[in-house]
Amino acid sequence: MAQRKAFRWHIAVFLAPAVLVYTAIMIVPLFGTLNLSLFNTGEEGRVFVGLRNFATLFGDPRWSASFWNALGNNAWFFLVHMLVQNPVGVALAALLSSPRLRGAAFYRTAIFIPTILSFVIVGFVWKLILSPIWGIAPGMLDAVGLKSLFAPWLGREGTALTTLALISVWQFVGIPMMLIYAALLSIPDEVIEAAEMDGVTGWSQFWKIKLPLILPSIGIISILTFVGNFNAFDLIYVTQGALAGPNFSTDILGTFLYRTFFGFQLQIGDPHMGATIATAMFGIILLGVGFYLFAIQRRLRRYQF
Amino acid sequence: MSQARHSTARSLAAHAVLILYTVIALFPVFVVVINSFKNRRAIFADPLAVPTAESFDLVGYRTVLAQGDFLLYFQNSLVVTVASLFFVLLFGAMAAFALSEYRFRGNMLMGLYLALGIMIPIRLGTVAILQMMVASGLVNTLTALVLVYTAQGLPLAVFILSEFMRGVSDDLKNAGRIDGLSEYTIFFRLVLPLVRPAMATVAVFTMIPIWNDLWFPLILAPSEATKTVTLGSQVFIGQFVTNWNAVLAALSLAILPVLVLYLVFSRQLIRGITAGAVK
Amino acid sequence: MGALTLTQVTKSFGTTQVIKGVDLAVEDGEFCVFVGPSGCGKSTLLRMIAGLEDVTSGDVAIDGARVNDLAPARREIAMVFQSYALYPHLTVRDNMGLALKQAGTPRAQIEAATGKAAEMLALAHLLERRPAELSGGQRQRVAIGRAIVRRPKLFLFDEPLSNLDAALRVQTRIEIARLHRELGATMIYVTHDQVEAMTLADKIVVLRGGVVEQVGRPMDLYNDPDNTFVAGFIGSPQMNFLDAGKLGLRSARLGIRPEHLVPGGGQIGGRVSHVEKLGGETLVYVASEDHGLLTVRLFGEQDYAVDEVVGLGFEPNRAFHFDAEGRRLR
Repeated sequence: MAQRKAFRWHIAVFLAPAVLVYTAIMIVPLFGTLNLSLFNTGEEGRVFVGLRNFATLFGDPRWSASFWNALGNNAWFFLVHMLVQNPVGVALAALLSSPRLRGAAFYRTAIFIPTILSFVIVGFVWKLILSPIWGIAPGMLDAVGLKSLFAPWLGREGTALTTLALISVWQFVGIPMMLIYAALLSIPDEVIEAAEMDGVTGWSQFWKIKLPLILPSIGIISILTFVGNFNAFDLIYVTQGALAGPNFSTDILGTFLYRTFFGFQLQIGDPHMGATIATAMFGIILLGVGFYLFAIQRRLRRYQF
Repeated sequence: MSQARHSTARSLAAHAVLILYTVIALFPVFVVVINSFKNRRAIFADPLAVPTAESFDLVGYRTVLAQGDFLLYFQNSLVVTVASLFFVLLFGAMAAFALSEYRFRGNMLMGLYLALGIMIPIRLGTVAILQMMVASGLVNTLTALVLVYTAQGLPLAVFILSEFMRGVSDDLKNAGRIDGLSEYTIFFRLVLPLVRPAMATVAVFTMIPIWNDLWFPLILAPSEATKTVTLGSQVFIGQFVTNWNAVLAALSLAILPVLVLYLVFSRQLIRGITAGAVK
Repeated sequence: MGALTLTQVTKSFGTTQVIKGVDLAVEDGEFCVFVGPSGCGKSTLLRMIAGLEDVTSGDVAIDGARVNDLAPARREIAMVFQSYALYPHLTVRDNMGLALKQAGTPRAQIEAATGKAAEMLALAHLLERRPAELSGGQRQRVAIGRAIVRRPKLFLFDEPLSNLDAALRVQTRIEIARLHRELGATMIYVTHDQVEAMTLADKIVVLRGGVVEQVGRPMDLYNDPDNTFVAGFIGSPQMNFLDAGKLGLRSARLGIRPEHLVPGGGQIGGRVSHVEKLGGETLVYVASEDHGLLTVRLFGEQDYAVDEVVGLGFEPNRAFHFDAEGRRLR
């Protein structure tokens, strides 16, 4: 028998800092939050209430109405991203990767610029542009004879959420574009040339050869979009404030959590209900990620070239 | 010249679409920056015109510099970003090395544990993080932000860096071992320099969300002394919402540093994203 | 059907000209090999024939029809790539059938064509697999099958054996030769390996620096090279080049193949510097003061000691004379 190996200290040393910081600042608070959702403030301080906070969140009409409103808005927010951001990103990447395209580097750099800007900038810039006071948007519509189409989109209940979602799409379209672009570049030239020889060119080349090969990347982008969207907060907070107006029509889970936890106007903050909402968000994200990992990712083949 | 494979019409169409989208991407930024240099009347009279000798006015910038403590905010952002980046890269690379280099019991599990944070956003723990920071007296300190951002950046850093470190030649490391180098020396002297491109990629990816974050500065460090640029400009704009010159100037000031940094690092960023893809 | 003509074909990338005016006629049913060192332009030339690279000037014609401006798919050619370039997401069957499907061929016909090609290449039991589930040799056969299915006028091979191990390489080489006999199709084959060129070709085109050095049947090139480059490139081990002046001849250089140098003669003196015994033959390296290191190839197992002094002789009619520029003097 071989001698039992001595404990390899260096492995522990290499792992320790990352694991400690990550555990202490991320995992422990995450479970702390889950735990906090099981308590509430009673007469003699904090009391264990089991799942009663969840009963309140889903059962009490005042809470549940807000929650479902936020969840529904969030789902729409996500849907707009899936339907606009990702297809546009894929299309831009496909164009960028066309052979011998001049200026590809310039387009790539320029289209990615909104992604690096903070939500504060993005939110205010668009608020100004869409503002009826300044008149840039109506002025431009006027120039193409469509002035009648203009409305204060951010101020109307019916259009505010979709407008915000599109602003967010504008900001983040660079990410799917870059990732898909990278995936397209990783398809070997010879495979594309073989397709040319086989007469598979242009659009049919994209649908029959390239798209199947980049599906795994599209899958990853979708799940990243999902996590990002159900965790969004900043853009709405910056443009519409914590009240996610008009009349909560742009309220999503992130703003709902913020308001509940910190309070607003007359209502005071409630850490326990805040933790309950965070736990619900945790559950939703977990469900989505689980669904992706078990139902979708398994069916996506990754190809080795 | 003959073009058996590439039709000119198709490439023209591609350019047209890309130019159109580039305009959409840049237009808002362009409008804000040019108007920040104009006087109030010109801003409203003709928002799309570039500043001329008559309409040129720096009143917005004067207001911003007189009112907000932007230099301090900027410094805070810089400190937080650089410090977080340093820890993310150092700790992340160390952990990635342990995971990719050594076979030990629980290796897979540890990898999964650290990767969990890629999918689960740290914000969901905010309630408990705030309580923890309050308890340890770290509220309204930059340390609190650095800690949170380090934890936030680690999962992705470990994931990307361990992928890259698997690609470092085993022969090289074994040659080092035969030459009597310690595991630490192998890591710092042989492996780290080789994964420098990957480190740069991770750095860019880690930096952008930290610099732009509003949530944690708002919750953990909203005091005047610890405001970051992002939070500072948010507050400033909120207060001066009707002073268009000031708002536009503040926005331009917030855009410029990021823009310059991006243009400097954009090749690195793109190379990082497409790493391994380029043959 | 399947004759290829190149007329004054050139190719420039920017300001560098990589193909400098190539004229070539490949007859129907011929197996033509482009050979040359790396960077000689052989792959570029093949890709121009395929339509993957534009022709800068000159004409490429298949069966007399100019194809310069035709898309690759419309040139009725098929190509086997160095990396095989199989579609990773399609099965072997679909890989082979894609071109026909794209051309709108009826399904039954596609089935028949793939079935036949699969049989020819012993791939019938692998039809439902994907490329990732195949070995290197099997992938290579699928790539060849994909070409066969299309019944092209012209088969193009771009160093198809370079990713295979030595044993498989010999086997596949024989397979390609058999296919050529069975199909009777015109094939253009690019390689840097002169053994592949010698064993497969009806006609070898030796390229260097974008220029055709010589065209001919393998044995013509071996026995009658036009210049020192071809003489040195064809044949292994390489031809010996001797300083003709030192031997009292009027040409500049004298080329003698290793098998034509015989020990015991008195024309050239030297010392044995190294001996390689290969069983069937023995290679003796002789360092000569006048001519540098010479290779002598002897049949069977021969005993020579390092540093042994040997004299070497040759038959004058087995030697090639070259001028100072390397041109053959006949």
